[in-house]
Amino acid sequence: MVSASVNEQLSKIAAFNGIEVFWIKSRKFKTNSINIFFCDNLCRENAAKNALVPALLRRGCASHPTFGDIALYLEELYGASFDCGVSKKGEYHIVQFYIDHINDKFAGDNISLFEKCMDLLLEIINEPVAEDGAFKKDYVEQEKENLRRLIESRVNDKAQYAVERCYEVMCGDEPFGVYEYGAAEDISAISPEDLFKHYGYMLESLPMLVFIAGDIEDDKVNSAIKKLSAIERKSIKKLDAAICKKEVESIRNEVEHMSVNQGKLCLGFRTNTDPGDKDYCSLLVYNTILGGGVHSKLFQNIREKESMAYYAYSRLEKFKGLMVVSSGIESSNKDKVIDIVLKQMEDMKAGRISDYEYDSSINTIETGVKSLADSQLSIVDFFLGQTLIKAEDDFESLIQKVKAVTREDIVRAAERIKLDTIYFLTA
Amino acid sequence: MQINTLEYKKIDEIMYEYEHSSGLKAYVVPKKGYSKQYAAFATHYGSINNAFVSPGDSEITEVPDGIAHFLEHKLFEQEDGSVMDKFSALGSSPNAYTSFSQTVYLFASAGKFHENFKLLLDFVQNPYITSESVEREKGIIGQEIRMYEDDATWRVFFNLLRGLYEKNPVRIDIAGTVESISKIDRENLYKCYNTFYHPSNMVILVTGDVDHKKVFEQVESSIKLIQSKPEINRIFAEEPAKVNMPYTEQSMAVAVPLFQLGFKDSGAKAKGFDSLMREIAVKILLEMIVGRSSKLYNDLYSEGLINSSFDFDFTIEENYAFSMLGGESKDPHQVRDRIVEEIKRLGTNGLNKENYERIKRAINGRFIRYLNSVERISHMFIPVYFRDANLFDYFDVYDKITFEYSKEVFNDHFNPDNIALSVIKPL
Repeated sequence: MVSASVNEQLSKIAAFNGIEVFWIKSRKFKTNSINIFFCDNLCRENAAKNALVPALLRRGCASHPTFGDIALYLEELYGASFDCGVSKKGEYHIVQFYIDHINDKFAGDNISLFEKCMDLLLEIINEPVAEDGAFKKDYVEQEKENLRRLIESRVNDKAQYAVERCYEVMCGDEPFGVYEYGAAEDISAISPEDLFKHYGYMLESLPMLVFIAGDIEDDKVNSAIKKLSAIERKSIKKLDAAICKKEVESIRNEVEHMSVNQGKLCLGFRTNTDPGDKDYCSLLVYNTILGGGVHSKLFQNIREKESMAYYAYSRLEKFKGLMVVSSGIESSNKDKVIDIVLKQMEDMKAGRISDYEYDSSINTIETGVKSLADSQLSIVDFFLGQTLIKAEDDFESLIQKVKAVTREDIVRAAERIKLDTIYFLTA
Repeated sequence: MQINTLEYKKIDEIMYEYEHSSGLKAYVVPKKGYSKQYAAFATHYGSINNAFVSPGDSEITEVPDGIAHFLEHKLFEQEDGSVMDKFSALGSSPNAYTSFSQTVYLFASAGKFHENFKLLLDFVQNPYITSESVEREKGIIGQEIRMYEDDATWRVFFNLLRGLYEKNPVRIDIAGTVESISKIDRENLYKCYNTFYHPSNMVILVTGDVDHKKVFEQVESSIKLIQSKPEINRIFAEEPAKVNMPYTEQSMAVAVPLFQLGFKDSGAKAKGFDSLMREIAVKILLEMIVGRSSKLYNDLYSEGLINSSFDFDFTIEENYAFSMLGGESKDPHQVRDRIVEEIKRLGTNGLNKENYERIKRAINGRFIRYLNSVERISHMFIPVYFRDANLFDYFDVYDKITFEYSKEVFNDHFNPDNIALSVIKPL
């Protein structure tokens, strides 16, 4: 058992049939939550199907055969909240099913919301509305259309689109370059039968991680475990970890034109650092000094000193060993901003890090990590990541490791970072 | 020191209140076991206050659009540098936001609370604005404005406000325009500061695991102005009851059309408990008309006219109120027509009491869930406070609100003659 903080205890309470069950006990929240994750390797072949399965499952289950019936039942359960979908962590493709509900004591009458919510979630996963061994044809057509539009609508959020495109260009021949919702051109070939078969594959063979969080009686948690063990499982897929180290042969330059007022500049880097490396914390501190807050070199130089941007930051893609620098600028300033970014990174490689930058970064990370403990979803997300990379650290031990990072460690991390791709979205 | 206690045993929440001699009120909502402390220092002053008579003046002062937001940026600058740096050194994240009616300064910390709180109290009370720094800020805010120009969800919202309102300054972009901010200088910034940043026009809220007595003692010793100040005369042009333009349209680089449909609410009492009643009634009604459990939502979804991006909300402030419903749609006009049709049908056939009760219970449950988050508490508390009500009054609303009252609000608010549609079309 590891301690999440003084109040939040994470414990692994069961493991069977490729299902691991974790319990995060906490009393400070108004809600309890259940998260069920199916974990796959990200690949083009499965991406769109993995995205479509939850979209179909949410359309109805045995006792609540339509989307509206599920919504109505959630309202009866005092506004319980259910959602499902896909995301990626590095080259893991995660299909998530989530439900939360207010604690029984706030509900007013004698009702066990946890049991009802657990049952609903399992029913949505286990007993979809199907006909003749396939999802309903019209539902499949509607969700395929929704997915196609969702993929097309990526361009609506220019800043996020630019970051995603930068990574995709960079990792064009690696699994990470696959968009978590798949490719629009793959969608039309998917039949209701294919999708149902794929759903079977997901349910039977993908590793499952289950997180139960909140103030729940032991016997209710035990009965939830029993229900999970009834899921029929076959041989469980072995997942591959992402490769986080790669030589850069030449720097890629990609310019995309769109009707925009502001240019979005993204620089993609290889950190050549695995999330499980003992040096990972050095990279974490490096990134925070470079572009993780108002104290950072990017914010201070691009925004405060040069007034060239409203935002300028760097961010790690921890699970793939990547880092992106992102800023919204006047297109004519592109080269100047690139020079500033690279100059800051040269400075860091040379160890030019002020006490203020160093201390602020350590303290900022400490605050950020401690703050995770105030949100059930953040706690779950943190431990999901830790479980995937088989890391042992909890919040407290992670903070201790970050505090132990020295300037020499940061310089070592800096030396491994290589510019790979410059992406620019402009008019 | 007199401290009032507001206790809500049913949901395990308590709120402490203290009034300073200046008229400033400070509140603490303790959250036992939370790692994070969250403090906000807010003034009842936002983008809509562009004409006013300062206490002591006889003339109306008119100021450039975007000045409240500009002032928010400038307050972080102090004689000895940016106060952001000092927060950063403590590892906390300072931030601020300007809305139509409020400007809020805040920080989140996980330790060293009182040092952070001192910084907050000091910098908001001590403007240090130089002409040189005002000019430099124009570059940064210029980029912020450019960023919003490319943000389709922001544009569709402001275009809707322009459709709904002819005179009310809520129709003006919060950050102003590159042209309007060029007229901002040191003098007009100080004029706004001296008018609106008197403690009697402000409020403080702290949430987290803190000792409320210590918080109030710090407030008492740190607030410099100790006399209360007469009311500010806020000037607003008379707004017609009718919508300004029933339809607005703009083309942008988006893949799928975005829309917002608005109902202009001219009968709303914007102050006090009544405003909370109205707000909850409209929110219940929106769910009943086109929430996820409604027939209309499910029909529109199945027909591919809306997708999961569809959402709605109701906003009520001192001199305007409107509901809005929107998302992505291939045919926004049809969505509008169908919503209007459903409202007419409900007007004729009557609302279903069972649906009303179930949805009320769900919304109440969701409100309880929001109390998990210290940020959320703060975001909800401040606008309600400036409407002369208290966040915890919502619990009384849920006890007192009736089906009969909600029917009256339905007839009054959902008037098909008072709607405007805003659409962003792909290029």
